[in-house]
Amino acid sequence: MSTDVTAPMSGNIYEISVSVGDDVKAEDELLILEAMKMENPIYAPVDGKVIEIKVAVDDAVEANDVLVILE
Amino acid sequence: MARKQTPLRPYFEKMTRIGKQLSEAEVKRGTKNLEAIREQEALIEAEETRVAEAGIPAERVRSRGSMTIYDRLDYMVDAGTWQPLHSLYNPTENEEGCTGVVGGLGKIEGRWAVIIGFDNKVMAGAWIAGQAENILMITDLAKRLNIPLVWLTNCSGVKLMEQETVYAGRRSSGAPFFRHAELNKLGIPILNAIYGTNPAGGGYQGISPTILLAHEGANIAVGGAGIVGGMNPKGEIDEEGARALIEGTKSFKGSPPGRVETHFDATAYFREVHETEEGVLDGIKDYMRMMPAYDPAMFRVAEPAQPKYPLEDINLILPANQKRPYDAMQILARLTDNSEFMEYRPDYGPEVYTGIAKIDGFPVAVIGNNQGIIADYPDYANGEYPGVGGKHYRQGLIKQSEFVSLCGRDNLPIIWLQDTTGIDVGDAAEEAELLALGQSLVYSIEQTDISMMCVVLRKGQAAAHYIMCGPQANNSNAFTLGTPLTEICVMHGETAAAASYARRLVKEDEEGRDFMPVVDKMNQMIDDYREKSEPAYGAKMGFVDEIVCLDQLRGYMEAFAGANYQNPKSITPVHQMLLPRAIKG
Repeated sequence: MSTDVTAPMSGNIYEISVSVGDDVKAEDELLILEAMKMENPIYAPVDGKVIEIKVAVDDAVEANDVLVILE
Repeated sequence: MARKQTPLRPYFEKMTRIGKQLSEAEVKRGTKNLEAIREQEALIEAEETRVAEAGIPAERVRSRGSMTIYDRLDYMVDAGTWQPLHSLYNPTENEEGCTGVVGGLGKIEGRWAVIIGFDNKVMAGAWIAGQAENILMITDLAKRLNIPLVWLTNCSGVKLMEQETVYAGRRSSGAPFFRHAELNKLGIPILNAIYGTNPAGGGYQGISPTILLAHEGANIAVGGAGIVGGMNPKGEIDEEGARALIEGTKSFKGSPPGRVETHFDATAYFREVHETEEGVLDGIKDYMRMMPAYDPAMFRVAEPAQPKYPLEDINLILPANQKRPYDAMQILARLTDNSEFMEYRPDYGPEVYTGIAKIDGFPVAVIGNNQGIIADYPDYANGEYPGVGGKHYRQGLIKQSEFVSLCGRDNLPIIWLQDTTGIDVGDAAEEAELLALGQSLVYSIEQTDISMMCVVLRKGQAAAHYIMCGPQANNSNAFTLGTPLTEICVMHGETAAAASYARRLVKEDEEGRDFMPVVDKMNQMIDDYREKSEPAYGAKMGFVDEIVCLDQLRGYMEAFAGANYQNPKSITPVHQMLLPRAIKG
């Protein structure tokens, strides 16, 4: 079963903290979304493995865009 | 058999639990944060050590049979209660490296007092620049908290080579004597332990408090022996005059005026004279036991309790990276008794939290900034931009004003936990009345005669630093603390550089000139802002009253709450409080 991690707001990808294949635990930091001059960490909602990263650093994203897929 | 309980038990005994244990991931992330905090702490500690070692070595003082100011404080203050203030204050960067006085809050014989003493290692406790302001801040604190002021006087008077920096002016070294008179007028006692030679300014420092206790070697006088011997000026010193001065000084055998033979035996100004330095401090302790003070049980609403989570966690939660948000409730959960908080209007004005907590069993109000992006808020922005924690919007400003006013009605002292970047700007914000609502909060604070303390957890910027009871709230703010992560400035350096040089950049570019020299100036400005926004700089200049490690904040909060309830000027019967009922609905 896969879990989509989505952007809670529009912004730019500032940093990606994980790679495809990484095992992550709930609340691990996946990436940083820069919005309103703030660096907003996006955390893993559940334990899992990163199977796809759909964004790159500096990408502009909209709210609800899928950023990372966990399995 | 009698049955006893704390008042309004259904509201206060068990309040809403906040916070949670840190996850493994949070602890891991926090480790790097901790390194950044430790780096700042080390800088602050080095500065504090430098100040403590100012003047002649402590051993030289002790070899003369005297105690240093720090020895006297150690002997007099109840163990574990000392909360220093203004340790690094030195706004004019005196060559002495300090302002020559050491002050703070502490308990003596179980009662809270504001305590200050001259650093007798530094020019025998001379008046030096910045000292009067330091003393005025301390007398303000005694006035605000309505608790005794204890002086450890050992003051050689004006540093004569720099008299122009201390003697004259509205807030000069004479002003504390009027403050002492004011405290006496208000019924706030000042106890004075007098040591050493205290001529002129030192004499008035000696005489102006309420109760005078002296060491047998102490004296206080209108003028010292040197002045008495030198009151025949010719307008200049020539060789003949210098030789006369040499001979006169060599043959001078007189004792300083105002010794205990005069002011104990003859005038009886001194209530007590002690053979030992410790004896004088024992006398202060005796008088402190006579001071009016309610038993804490009079005002406690529950048994004192520690937070459920470790204070040290705050070092892992509060990001050193100023752009990172955090869960403000996780910080609060590590400061309040039992990690409990009764929040007022949590669904309104989400950028700030307001509510009641217990500190050491006493009820206190807490106001602070939430952090992070707030979707669909403020409503007046009509979705054009989201709210950001740390900023203030219409609802949050109204909520804070309401809450402060109700705290005044309930006599709840307020602890402000600032981490704020400002008040929202733009046409929509102006139409939403934020300018007036910011000032309304200032009015609410001023109109509400209760004690407040302020902690600038990280950012204190723009007018928001003022409206959240920053030190500018002269009559309400008891003291302001900074932390190793505090950054106080009107705005961020980059923002300021852009505001200052944007037009210049445009001009240079339009006229075909190299704009990089302007860019260099902008970067210099950013570096300057960074340096002058750092915690140690703020403490030196008096932006805050002390920089405190994050895990030591609760000690100051306990001192603030305990001192506030020791002898309050106004009392709200707990069972008649309105706020807990307003929160419950």
